[in-house]
Amino acid sequence: MKFYLFIFIFIIFISKNLYSDETSEWLKREIDIILEAYKNENLSNENRFLLIEKTINNNFAGTGIAKFVAGEAWKKSDKNTKKIYIDNFKRHLALNIASMMQGYSDQTYELTKSKYDNKNQITLIDMEIFSDTGSVVVTWRVKESKDRFFVIDLIVADISLVVTKRSEFNSMLKKVDNDLSKFNEVLFDQNQISYQKITE
Amino acid sequence: MSKKIIILFFLFFSLLSYKVIASDADQVNTDSEDFETTTIEDEIYDPLEPINRAIFSFNNVADRIVLEPIAKGYKKLPSPLQSGINNFLSNLRAPLVVVNQLLQGQGENAIQSSGRFILNSTVGVFGLFDVAEKIGLEEKEEDYGQTLATWGVGDGFYIVLPLFGPSNLRDTSGMVLTMMTDPINAYAVSEGEAWLVPMRTAVNAVDTRSQIIDEVNALRDNSVDYYAAVRSSYYQNRKAAINNVDDSELTPLPLISIEFE
Repeated sequence: MKFYLFIFIFIIFISKNLYSDETSEWLKREIDIILEAYKNENLSNENRFLLIEKTINNNFAGTGIAKFVAGEAWKKSDKNTKKIYIDNFKRHLALNIASMMQGYSDQTYELTKSKYDNKNQITLIDMEIFSDTGSVVVTWRVKESKDRFFVIDLIVADISLVVTKRSEFNSMLKKVDNDLSKFNEVLFDQNQISYQKITE
Repeated sequence: MSKKIIILFFLFFSLLSYKVIASDADQVNTDSEDFETTTIEDEIYDPLEPINRAIFSFNNVADRIVLEPIAKGYKKLPSPLQSGINNFLSNLRAPLVVVNQLLQGQGENAIQSSGRFILNSTVGVFGLFDVAEKIGLEEKEEDYGQTLATWGVGDGFYIVLPLFGPSNLRDTSGMVLTMMTDPINAYAVSEGEAWLVPMRTAVNAVDTRSQIIDEVNALRDNSVDYYAAVRSSYYQNRKAAINNVDDSELTPLPLISIEFE
């Protein structure tokens, strides 16, 4: 009986580790697509960003994050405004991630640690980026849904991208009385500025 | 027969564990109530916001014109030289780190940091080489702001200090205490070399800034409200430092749903 119990616990333990490994492999593939895009000199800046944007939109829980960061303003808005906001937000998210990853494109990295958080049912993957003078750790929070993985947050130096965005958006939303349609204009304008910078 | 039941039981649970992971993730939905569960923005008490924003704008201009270009130039120095400067500055901070670790009751860490300081100051040639790291004595930072927080002192209101950047009432008090009690600065002043104090602060600022050029630019170029983004980043970073969080598992988890269109 003890033997079977041991085997049972062992298999459960292994299965969790295998699950984490599978998530890490998936993440590595997607990160490499982004970093390779930066290294590919045949791509124009615009096409490079569009490729990166597509990768980010495929792999981030963009809609869920958009709703979270909008906070109170989400509830008050109509369907069409929400749709426009989600589109704007997805581009904004892509611009943020692309801009950050651009800085890491000439450095080497390793996925150093992968851990399954049972309580929240997410996988935390540490990515260590090495430069000549040191290293920085970026933690990816990944959730599985319908046999697919989605990044739900990025943590750099203990700073969560999603929490920062929520704080930033809330501050700006207060200025427009939590009116998501007015905020859409602000977000659209910011995206235009960021897009010009990344594609110039 | 009993063996078959155990095996069946075992297989059932193995399958179930996979099923639970997948199905529960599908069922995570964000509804309007979820937004009220976090008070991230409300936690930041910023009654001086208009003044802070003005100082922040000034700092931002100063950063663009002075600090960032110098930091970019510094980044072009040979990497062993940059590492040497970074190690040297970090070693100068070590005595106060030990004091703060003792004040926080972290005896083991204080011994480790003392060991680091002695080893790096001698074998590591005045701290230019981090030999302690190579034998497993890891660097741990503690300051008076963290000590005060550990003693139960609250954040106080948010302040943006001219040139020094984001802070709060507690951490500003901590910074003043650091200036008053730093033995290296005190020694420099007593020897009539007071100019070394602002010089050390300036080199520290350039060294720190050079390590976050890309991150700051990414945040600055892509924020709808850069001030709020920096404020939130400052609080998250300080909270993690106070709690000595090494594991990102402890960083607050936002409630995010996965949705398919």
